[in-house]
Amino acid sequence: MAIKVLLVDDETSFVETLKRRLTLRKLEVLTAASAAEALALLAEQEPDVVVLDVRMPGMSGIEATREIRRTHPTVEVILLTGHASLEASMEGMTMGAFDYLLKPVSIDELIFKIEDAHRRRSLRLAGTDGERDGLDGHDRGTG
Amino acid sequence: MLLERLRGWLRTRALPADQGAGDDGTSLFRERYHALRLLLAANNKALDTMAEMELAARAEQPFGMAFVHSRCTAVGVSVYAMVRHLDELAPGKYPELFAALSSIQVRIREVITAQKPRREVPLVVPLAAVDRGWTPDVGSKMATLGEAAGLLGLNVPPGFVITGAAYELLLAHNDLQPEIDRLIQTSDSDEPAEIFALSSRLQQLVVHTEVPAALADAIAEGYGALAATIGSRPAVALRSSAVGEDSPEASFAGQYATELNIRPEHLVEAYRQVVASKYSPQAMQYRLQRGLRDDWLAMCVGCMAMVDARAGGVAYTANPGDPTDRRVVISAALGLPKAVVDGRFVADEFILTHERPVHLVERHIASKHGRLTLDPAEGVVRQEISGAQQTAPSVSDAEAVRVAEIALTLEDHFGGPQDIEWAINPEGEVVVLQSRPLQQVAAGATQAAPAGVAPLLAGGLCVSPGAAAGHVNRVERDSDALRFGDGAVLVVQHPLPRWAALLPRAAAVVAAGGGIAGHLATVARESGVPALFGLAGVEALEEGLEITVDASGRALYPGRIEALLGADRRHASAMAGSPVHATLLDALALIAPLNLLDPGDVAFRPASCRTLHDITRFCHEKAVREMFDFGRQHRFPKHESKQLFHNVPMQWWVLDLEDGFNRPLTGKYVRLADIACQPMLALWRGMVAVPWEGPPAMSGRGFASVLFEATANPALATPFRKPYAQQNYFMISSTFMNLQSRFGFHFAAVEAVAGGRDHENYLGFSFKGGAADLERRAGRVAMICEILEERGFAVEAREDHATARLAGLPAAVMERQLELVGYLIMHTRQLDMIMNDPAVVAHYRAKIVADLARIASGELGAGG
Repeated sequence: MAIKVLLVDDETSFVETLKRRLTLRKLEVLTAASAAEALALLAEQEPDVVVLDVRMPGMSGIEATREIRRTHPTVEVILLTGHASLEASMEGMTMGAFDYLLKPVSIDELIFKIEDAHRRRSLRLAGTDGERDGLDGHDRGTG
Repeated sequence: MLLERLRGWLRTRALPADQGAGDDGTSLFRERYHALRLLLAANNKALDTMAEMELAARAEQPFGMAFVHSRCTAVGVSVYAMVRHLDELAPGKYPELFAALSSIQVRIREVITAQKPRREVPLVVPLAAVDRGWTPDVGSKMATLGEAAGLLGLNVPPGFVITGAAYELLLAHNDLQPEIDRLIQTSDSDEPAEIFALSSRLQQLVVHTEVPAALADAIAEGYGALAATIGSRPAVALRSSAVGEDSPEASFAGQYATELNIRPEHLVEAYRQVVASKYSPQAMQYRLQRGLRDDWLAMCVGCMAMVDARAGGVAYTANPGDPTDRRVVISAALGLPKAVVDGRFVADEFILTHERPVHLVERHIASKHGRLTLDPAEGVVRQEISGAQQTAPSVSDAEAVRVAEIALTLEDHFGGPQDIEWAINPEGEVVVLQSRPLQQVAAGATQAAPAGVAPLLAGGLCVSPGAAAGHVNRVERDSDALRFGDGAVLVVQHPLPRWAALLPRAAAVVAAGGGIAGHLATVARESGVPALFGLAGVEALEEGLEITVDASGRALYPGRIEALLGADRRHASAMAGSPVHATLLDALALIAPLNLLDPGDVAFRPASCRTLHDITRFCHEKAVREMFDFGRQHRFPKHESKQLFHNVPMQWWVLDLEDGFNRPLTGKYVRLADIACQPMLALWRGMVAVPWEGPPAMSGRGFASVLFEATANPALATPFRKPYAQQNYFMISSTFMNLQSRFGFHFAAVEAVAGGRDHENYLGFSFKGGAADLERRAGRVAMICEILEERGFAVEAREDHATARLAGLPAAVMERQLELVGYLIMHTRQLDMIMNDPAVVAHYRAKIVADLARIASGELGAGG
C-alpha cells in the first residue's frame, strides 16, 4: 500500500512541485496550505506522515506538530523548512517531530525520511495490535 | 525553558516503545531494531556533518553564516534524534542526557547568534554631529565624512545620516531577518545564476518592506533640518554607509547603491533602495569570499544635499598598483564623479607630487565622449560631449593641485593612503564626497614579452597587475553573467561594479573602458585578479577563444602562454580568521572534540558529555549494549544469539536483529550458509582470506613487557562487562553488522551499513589495546592507521586507541573495505610486540600492504 503523505506549506508552488515528484515516486500525496487546513484534513483522513513547513502565517509548524502528535499520536511529522534555527529545530523535535530537514533537500533524502517515519509508524501500530506480554515492567525495572 | 520541554517530551510521548509485542517478541524486537537503526543513521549523519564542518574550518573555501546555521541545526537535530532513540531502547534510563544536550545546544546558539553590542542612538543624526567615534552607528563612510567636515573644516555637502538603529528598526518592524535567512538558506548560492536570482529576491523583499511611521517621521525631520540650514528644499544624494564597510582589509568599493538627485518626496523609496543593495550580487559575493557576517552588517544611509558637479572624480594619495610610488593620482571626468567610479567613461589622469607644495608631474587628457549630469526632474542623465570639449581637460591644473592638497590633508589626518571621491561645485570649490583607506598591491615583476608570439591586442591600463589565461567570456548584461564560466576571462565593454560578483570565478578581467579608479578595478586589485582596462579593440575578441591576459605587460596573447603565468596572486582565501570563520570555530569547539573515550571509565556518563560528539559517542555505545542486553534478558528462542559453527563450534556469537539469517533457526548454532548479512560475510571473507601465521616471534624485552602489563593491569578495560568480555559478538541484519570482539588483549569493534542508500552506508572500525608497553601499543596503532589511510579511511588515533571511518559509498565498495578490515583484525594481533624492531616492522608492514592489495583486487576476497 502506498505511503500516504500530507504536505503542508504556504508556498503553494513548492507544494505543487513536491507533490508531483512524490506522486511520481508512488507516494499518495495530500496537500494543505496552512496548519489549520492540515488539521481540518486530518480530522477526516489520517495520513502516515505529515511533512510540515515551520514558518507559516497563522499557526506555526511547531505548534501544529504538537497538535498533530496530541490528536494523532501515531502520525509521524517531518519538519521541512528553510528556517535554519537551532532553537526552532529543538522545539520541533521536542514536540515529537520525527526529523527536522532543511531546504533545499534532495528528493531522495526526503523520500528516505518519509519511508523511515512510515516504518516507525507501522512498527508501532503492529506493536500496539499485538498481545501485551508483560515485558514492560521487567524492562523498566532494569532502568 | 527548553530543558523543561525536553523533559516534557519524555512524559508526553504518545506511545512507549515497548507497549506490547507478539508472543515471540518479534514486533518488540523489530521496533527496537528500527530504533537502533535510526539511532545509527542519525549517528552517521551527525559524524558526516561534523566532518563537513571540520573541513570548512580549514578556511580553504568561502562559506557564510547560512552554512554555520544549517550545519549546527543539522547536527543538533541528529544528536537529539540519537538521544530520543536511545530513550526508546532504554526508556527513562538516561534522563540526564537531555539536560546535557540542552546545555550544549544553548551554548552553541549563543555562539552563532551573538550580535555586536550597539549603542542607543537616534534614528537620524546630522552629518555635522558625527565623527569616527560614531563608526558603529553610522558606518565608516559617513563617520569619516562627518569628521572631515567637522574636525578638518573641509567642504562636505550638508546632510544627515539614517543610522544603524533605523536599519534595525526597519528589520524588526517587518520581522525581516528570519525571512532573509530563509531565502539565503534555501538557495544553492554557488552558481552565478543562483546568486543573481537570490539577490533579486532579497532586494525585492527589502524594497517592498514597510517603513515604520517613526522612521519615516525621523527621515522627514532630518530633511526638514537640512532644508532649514540651506534655506531651500534641495534634491539629495543617498549614499550607503554600511557598518563594517571601508576597513583597511575590505573596501566594499561599489558594492551598494548610491541614489543621486532624489526629490524629497521620494526619500523613503530611495532609502529602501539603498538598504536593499546590501544584497546586490557583488556585495553578497564580496561578503561570502571574505567571511563577513551578514547579520553584523547594518546598512546606514547618508543623505546629503546634491552637488551639481561641473567635474569630479577620484583621488588616490598613492599609486594603488605600486606601494613604492607615493605620487598622487587624480582621475577626473566632466559632470558627476559617478562617471569615474562606475567604469562607464574614460577619465583624465593627473599625477602630482606627494611632497608639498604640490605640483603637477604628468597629465593625460582622454578623449571624452560623455558625462553624467543631473536631470531637471530627478536622477542622472548621460550627455554627449562634442567638439573641443572632448579633448579639453576636465579640470584645470590649479584645480587638480587643490584636489591633491585636500587629499593629502585627509591622508595626514586619517593616516595612510586615501581613496577620495570629490567634485567641483558650480562655485568652483572642491567638495569631498568620500574618503577611505586606499588598497595598495605590489606591482609584481613584469615578465618579458614572449618571443615569436604577436599580441592580439596591446595597450590599455593595468588596473590590477599579474597575468592569467582563460577563455573569453563576454558579459554585457545580467543574462550573460548567469552563464559565466569558471576560470574564464571576463571581457566587458564597461567595467561596472556589478561584475565584481563574477571575480571569484574569473581568471582575469579585460575592459574596453574604465580606469584605475573604478570600483571594479579596486575590487580586482583587492581580490588579486589581473585586470587590463581601457583597452581598444576588445570588441573583436572572439567568444570562447583561449587567451593569456598579461595585465602587467599590457597585452593579450592568443592561447595559453605559460612563460607569462607567474604565481597566482589570487588570495588563497580571505576566510581564515574572518568573523564567519571564527564563529564556526567557536561552534565547533562545542560540537566536535571527543572527550568520552573509554566506555569502561567511570567518567563515561551523560554528565561528562561536554560536546555533541561526546553525546553521540555515549548514545552509540549504550544503544549497542542495550540491544545486546535486550536480546539476552528476554529469552525469545527465535531471537537468541546463535553460536557460529564453522567446522567446529567457534567463539563467535551471532544475534539476528531482523533479517540477518536466511531461514528461521531453532538450534543453538548458526552456519555461514545461514547468514544473509552481506557486510558480515564480507568481513569474514577478509578474516579468513590469508591464514594467520601465529603470533610474531618475540624478543626478550617484548615478553618481559607483556608480563609487566599483565601484572600491572590484569583487567584491561573491556568494551563490555563480563560475561561478554571473552567473546566475539555479531549483531546483524541483511545490510547491517556490528561486531564487538576481543582477542586476548586486543579489542576491535566494527560496525557497518551496506545497503541500497549510498549516503547512509558507512563503516566504522575502532580498535585498541595490546599487551606490550604503551609506546609499542601506540606504534602498532599508528602503523594500522597509516595502512587504513592509504586505503581511503579517515582515521583518528590517540595513544593505543584509534577509529577509522568511511561513509557514503556504494554497498559493493563497503563490502570490499570490510574485507580489508577483516584481514587487519586477524593479522595485526600482537604486532605491538615487535614494534621496537624496525626491520621486523618493515617486514610485517610490507606483507600486510601486499595482502591488502591482493584482497582489494579481488584475488583473495572470494576465497577463504
